[in-house]
Amino acid sequence: MKRKSYIVSVIFVLCIGLILMGCPKKTVVKDEPSARAEAAKIEADRAAKEKEREAREKEVKEKETVRLKEKEEQAKREFERSLVAKRTPGIEGEVFESGLLKPIFFEFDKYDIRPGDAEILKENSALLKKFPNVKIQIEGHCDERGTNEYNLALGERRANSTKKYLASLGIAADRISTISYGEEKPMDPAHNEEAWAKNRRAHFVITAK
Amino acid sequence: MVKYFICILIVLLSFSIPSVEARVYLDINAPTFVQIPIVLPKWKSVEKTPPALTAKIYEVLANNLTLSGFFKVIDHTLLPSYLKEKEGIPSMLSIQEWASSGGEILLAGEATLEGDGLNLRLKFHLVDLVEQKHLTGKQYDSKLQNFRNMVHRIADETILHLTGEKGVHNTKIAYVIRQGESREISVADFDGANVRPITQNQSINLSPVWTPDGQKIAFTSYLKRNPDLYLIDLNGRNLQRFSSHPGLNVSPSWSPDGKQIALMLGKEGKSDIYLLDAKGENLKRLTTGHGNESTPRWSPDGRQIVFSSDRSGSPQIYIMSSDGSNVRRLTFEGNYNVSPSWSPKGDRIAFCGRAGGQFHIFTIGTDGSGLKKLTPNGSNNESPCWSPDGRYIAFSSTRAGGSRIFIMNANGFNQRPLTTPKGGESSPAWSKRFE
Repeated sequence: MKRKSYIVSVIFVLCIGLILMGCPKKTVVKDEPSARAEAAKIEADRAAKEKEREAREKEVKEKETVRLKEKEEQAKREFERSLVAKRTPGIEGEVFESGLLKPIFFEFDKYDIRPGDAEILKENSALLKKFPNVKIQIEGHCDERGTNEYNLALGERRANSTKKYLASLGIAADRISTISYGEEKPMDPAHNEEAWAKNRRAHFVITAK
Repeated sequence: MVKYFICILIVLLSFSIPSVEARVYLDINAPTFVQIPIVLPKWKSVEKTPPALTAKIYEVLANNLTLSGFFKVIDHTLLPSYLKEKEGIPSMLSIQEWASSGGEILLAGEATLEGDGLNLRLKFHLVDLVEQKHLTGKQYDSKLQNFRNMVHRIADETILHLTGEKGVHNTKIAYVIRQGESREISVADFDGANVRPITQNQSINLSPVWTPDGQKIAFTSYLKRNPDLYLIDLNGRNLQRFSSHPGLNVSPSWSPDGKQIALMLGKEGKSDIYLLDAKGENLKRLTTGHGNESTPRWSPDGRQIVFSSDRSGSPQIYIMSSDGSNVRRLTFEGNYNVSPSWSPKGDRIAFCGRAGGQFHIFTIGTDGSGLKKLTPNGSNNESPCWSPDGRYIAFSSTRAGGSRIFIMNANGFNQRPLTTPKGGESSPAWSKRFE
């Protein structure tokens, strides 16, 4: 009984073997034309879809470009709108002031940039990076305490430490000039702590736009 | 404009009693001194001279003597009635009656308006009432318009006789005056009279300094949107740009021989002291390092320069050789000492220092000894400069409202405002003597 089963098994295995050997040959021969057509169709579909996707993407991209351009234009318009021409009697030329370029302030008799003011300078530098044609002048100012000449030197130092900080943020040094007005152009002419704090500042003006 | 100074004709007058050897009545270099009581009888108007003119001359003279700080002036209104109305120059015989006036010295004079009324003759005599001695007498002839300068000379002569050194009445003070947003340079006589604008350009004009010949003023102006150094004639003409490096061009100081100029330049991003030759060429940098260097001033012997620097962390006064070597720190008190000025006699430095939250004028010996605070508490005082004889210091002070120019004796006595109470004045600079 055992032996019979064994033989059956062998025959079965052989048959399977024959089938396996013969079948692929037969399938290829039989199905070739329709398979090709099908593949071509799939390929065409895929290409079409790809094209569609590309078109869509292009459209999105174009829209994005337009949007960015508009945004840029808008920023530019906003910047332009923020500019106020400023002429000073007895001082040659014209400069512009912008509320978007914020001033920074200093401690009495100091010219180092305070951490909070460093953040303001980062914002100012981001704006300057957006408008690479803009050139600025940093005005160094002091409060009225101390002698006029010493304050001219201190104002020079304040303007230059501000310039250095902007340069460290990647603003080209040739876009930044400096000038010290010492204690001669107070923002607030009062003679008290509050006014003095406002007057110890680096103020930004635009010399080319 | 200085021509008229040489048009004054001076004649030494003799008196019935010959004048004595000059002796010093007042040692003004002593740390304290008592003011000399000087009596001024009413001046006489000779012939048709208008009494109002003579009264004006008398007033200017009395004011000059008061401003000098050396005198307690007894004018005719303070005299007993029997002396009050006595006019002119008393004879030596009647001099004794003046002894009861309370004065130790008598200064008497008369004015004569000559010829067509354009020429003025002033005569004065100086008498020692204690020893009953005639000290000096002089006569001045000049154009009427120069009457102030003639009076200044009488005051100077009086001071020469009593202190051994001439006064500074024929000097001028330049300073900055605020006019709205602008700052202009003005010049006034020693007594605050004859205020005249030097600049009228509406710009920011700062830090005036006299050239050694007294004919021009150097100052910093923002005319070209940079603090450049300019020179200008005293009549406000002939504006000339002298130094225009990018950044500060401020606070020139001529060497005593006039050949070199020390100044502050900010061209390297911070203020340093540089030297220029008299033409404004051959730039040489004297200070290096990280400090902010300001306000260089030559020593009277031309060998050293005093300046302010924050190289130690706070602004202090330093002295260096005129080639930039041998730097030594002079001040150690306080954490804000700026704007030094070297006395013409060479022994002391005046500067502005912060004490008790206020700014004061100090002087200190050139060896760092004998620090003295000269201005009273309760006010801010800045920018000292010496008179050419070293007996006075001009400075700005806010004690009477806005910033005004004040003058005091070098020991801090007799502080009084030079300018009118309008305020807005700063940065005084004292001229040499015009003669």
